[in-house]
Amino acid sequence: MDTKREDFETTCNLFIQALENYFKHLTDVSSEIGVPFIKESETLSLKNFTGLIGISGNRKGFVYISADKNMYADLINIFIGIDEPTTEDILDMAGEISNVIAGSVRANYGNNFNISVPIVFEGMPKQLKFPSEVAVFVIPMKWKGHEAFLVVGLE
Amino acid sequence: MRRTIEKNLGNYNLEIIGTASNGSAALEIVREKKPDVITLDITMPEMDGITCLEGIMEIHPTAKVMIITALSDKLTGLKALDKGARGFMYKPVNGADLKKAFDKLLKKPD
Repeated sequence: MDTKREDFETTCNLFIQALENYFKHLTDVSSEIGVPFIKESETLSLKNFTGLIGISGNRKGFVYISADKNMYADLINIFIGIDEPTTEDILDMAGEISNVIAGSVRANYGNNFNISVPIVFEGMPKQLKFPSEVAVFVIPMKWKGHEAFLVVGLE
Repeated sequence: MRRTIEKNLGNYNLEIIGTASNGSAALEIVREKKPDVITLDITMPEMDGITCLEGIMEIHPTAKVMIITALSDKLTGLKALDKGARGFMYKPVNGADLKKAFDKLLKKPD
């Protein structure tokens, strides 16, 4: 197995474990993980609401989770019992998931794997440029029928 | 996370006297209200949680600070305990995790 492929699989597995643990531990409902793929087109894999974490230190890049409002709304309902969350609640939830997933992966990369505070947005941001030297891969997932993408770009 | 904590701490004899979305605002609340129990994240805007914890310990050294953070490396946890935190939790954190940690923090028997 070549080093690039090995690294891709190792990194994917770390993020998949973090993603699976998040949903299973907090909701008792497992997520269904699709087949991860390397993103080659210029278009972003985005749903309506996104939480993004910048990564610096010994690895540089980003991770984001993107899903439609209903997935975040279902999670908010489970966690705090609100039936009709505001847009701010939805964005907070997107930021929280991205924060927990990036933070969980830090256990494997050490304390020089620095994560930013979450950057959250609705829809397609006007300015979102990813560095070209970063390999970007997409982990599709479903939870309670809601489709989401975890997108990871790491040097 | 702040609201999840609020929801799950209803069974304790605690009154929530403030919430803050960044370290500077947290220090203001601590200075003004001297809370008995504080939950604190590490990754925050303006000031990281460890710096904030140091500030809290200077202002109010008897406060029981529980760190709840996504940063899952052991060094961060040890650093926080060294700076005066009484407890440390790694996210994701559910209701049962919070209960266990707060029972211990507040020394409530099972």
